[in-house]
Amino acid sequence: MNAADLPRDVTHLPPLSGDALLTAVRAVAQGPLQQQVEAIDRQGHYPAAVLRQLAALGAMSAHLDTPAGPGSYALAIQAMAEVSRVCGATGFMMWCQAVCGLYLQQSGNPALMGEVLADHIMGVSLGGTALSNPMKSYAQIESLLLKATPVEGGYRINGTLPWVSNLGPDHYCGAIAAVVDEAQQPLGREVMFLLRCDAPGVELRECPSFSAMEGTGTYAIRVKDLFIGADDLIADPAKPTIARIRAAFVMLQCGMAVGITQGAIDSMWAVEPQLGHVNQFLEDRPATLQAELDALTARVMKMAETPFDGSTEFFIDVLDARAHGAELCLRAAQSALMHQGARGYLMSSDVQRRVRESHFVAIVTPAIKHLRKEMARLSAEELPA
Amino acid sequence: MKPTPIAEAVQSLAPWQQYICNACGYIYNEADGDPDGGLPPGTRFADIPDDWACPLCGVTKADFAPYMPPDLAALQAQAACAPTLTTRQAPGVVIVGAGRAGWQLAETLRALDAALPITMVTACAGDVYDKPLLSVAVARQLDADKLVRETGAAAAQRLNVRLLAHTHAIRICADTQQLRTTRGVLPYQHLVLAHGAQPALPSSLPAALCWRVNHLGAYLQLRAALGDTPKDVLIVGAGLVGSELANDLALGGHRITLLDTQPEPLARWHDAQAGTQVLQAWHDLPIRFVGGVRVAQLSRLDGRYYLTTECGQNFLADQVIAATGLQTPNRLAQSAGLAWRNGIEVEPATLRTSDPHIHALGDCITVDGQASRYIEPIARQARTIAADICGCTPAPYEARPATVRVKTTSLPLTLH
Repeated sequence: MNAADLPRDVTHLPPLSGDALLTAVRAVAQGPLQQQVEAIDRQGHYPAAVLRQLAALGAMSAHLDTPAGPGSYALAIQAMAEVSRVCGATGFMMWCQAVCGLYLQQSGNPALMGEVLADHIMGVSLGGTALSNPMKSYAQIESLLLKATPVEGGYRINGTLPWVSNLGPDHYCGAIAAVVDEAQQPLGREVMFLLRCDAPGVELRECPSFSAMEGTGTYAIRVKDLFIGADDLIADPAKPTIARIRAAFVMLQCGMAVGITQGAIDSMWAVEPQLGHVNQFLEDRPATLQAELDALTARVMKMAETPFDGSTEFFIDVLDARAHGAELCLRAAQSALMHQGARGYLMSSDVQRRVRESHFVAIVTPAIKHLRKEMARLSAEELPA
Repeated sequence: MKPTPIAEAVQSLAPWQQYICNACGYIYNEADGDPDGGLPPGTRFADIPDDWACPLCGVTKADFAPYMPPDLAALQAQAACAPTLTTRQAPGVVIVGAGRAGWQLAETLRALDAALPITMVTACAGDVYDKPLLSVAVARQLDADKLVRETGAAAAQRLNVRLLAHTHAIRICADTQQLRTTRGVLPYQHLVLAHGAQPALPSSLPAALCWRVNHLGAYLQLRAALGDTPKDVLIVGAGLVGSELANDLALGGHRITLLDTQPEPLARWHDAQAGTQVLQAWHDLPIRFVGGVRVAQLSRLDGRYYLTTECGQNFLADQVIAATGLQTPNRLAQSAGLAWRNGIEVEPATLRTSDPHIHALGDCITVDGQASRYIEPIARQARTIAADICGCTPAPYEARPATVRVKTTSLPLTLH
């Protein structure tokens, strides 16, 4: 099923309920997605049809508010986990699509909240997020790479972003640029906008091969004199919007960690009848990891009830849960390889693939080290300057 | 003998079976066959030619055995009975906090057990100093070098303690006995919370606009901000800390305005006439006490600070210090689900919290809902915990009313 091929009235069916959605997502993950996992991982196949199918089910928009009621972050995270359990790369693209939808909905810009958002929700159009660099910039880790010069009716954007995912020639992403004057001097604020890959002045460049995540539509974006008008503005200034959505942004990533960890635990149990007699000598056995994962999942589900809690304490909790997810994911994937032994070491095995996927969860922004640095910064006592 | 057509038909109706390669774990599913190896879907295992090779490792069908997908519930039940080791090394004792309470406990534990692994986690440098001296440091001309008795690194080396300085403890995972920090995860056998209390600021006093003197680092920054010339200093709160600081900074030549909601300083000791005595002692010092006022607003104005009270009085100062009391931070206790009663509730006999693997001492604890945030109880509390952890003769802690010496140098007061 490709949502783009369906008539609009068919795609506007009422959203599925929680359990029905997860059942349908599981069926896609373990059916068509499972068939393509190796092509995604080894040949860099971009699973556009699966993504559109998942979007049409509501799997990447469960967190967004609708006229029918508030969104459910818990459901969005669970759906992402179901997919990540089978394919971490696709789980990551779900996160890209989900946060891009969050930007559009939070923009308050009628030009982005109508058809643009509706098409995005249904998977008719796909998009990502170029906020890795800005998030690191706000955490005082690096400086902003895109610059925006105010011009008549909008901004002129220049700069290059490395490694933005879930992109294609007709895709888009949320991006942030530092506002500068004609002499390139910073004006002390940032602007957030929708960067369309097919806009004049935008060029996608292939990236070198990645360890995992080859099929994630990841490109460098080179931007030369791109004009952004009012219709494509998400937030100006950007900081208040970022402050509002930062916890939701990070929290949604927990779905990847939970799913990849669960996939690793699954593969430990799979060899237990044959190899349990030797695997009993390993640390990080599946039951132990499952207990830790269940506790972490429960913690994330609790946080998902208040994704827009703006307090520092809550954000520290979210950062820590995300860090715990990455650490657990690393341990579980590593242990799954120890449990499976040589059979898990085959290039065709999902076990070794998951080791590489777990590395991604640990290094994608915010990486474990960024999370810890940010928690330390937020925990420090505030004193007069 | 060739099977009869009926036997063939019966066999074709049988459910598909799976076979596992004993060498590499490859699973041959009759339903899927091995098209790349010349076996169309639906090829029964029995019909596989003997020269067929496992697509992964190359062994023949002789090395395959019938495979039943595992029953997860049965495996989990079986695994539950097996012994598991959760950590690679003895996790020992982890102490959160390197103030007086943390170091006192490390000393006491080390005296009882030379080999016990001890890790200390602290948000500051962990330098050893006497906090009460911060109230008299100006008069006694104590600078940073004289206040620090021993650096954290030196104390850690002397006591064979692993010190994680400038590290924030974020969360306790009580079920797995791990402390999550900004430098990684620490497994513990015993966790001891010695993180103290933190200043409780009323909402009218923004943290970025007023100093709090609760540890050495902030105090030294305040001293640097005051500099060498006399300044106008506003102190909000005329309890023990506020009164002592007022006294000390006034002796250093600064012009002090001391505010309190009560009509006199040290109002907690009204019956001992502490307020009257201390005001007498300050007679010749540049200290102006303004009682019975509440702060309405504090803001910055041309590099100085501007404070308004609810009753409409205005004060202008070079620096503002809040001495408005303490509260126990609840992040760690809450994450572990510890019993809470105005602070971390501990049981006096052992100073265990409601979690048997977690003890607590110092400013963060309460016994029967009462905190006792003084120096004297700490050594006794450390002995109680060390005895419990090391399995020595129990040394129950006894909560006693504290005797307080007010270090107003011109006329020291002893209060009960």
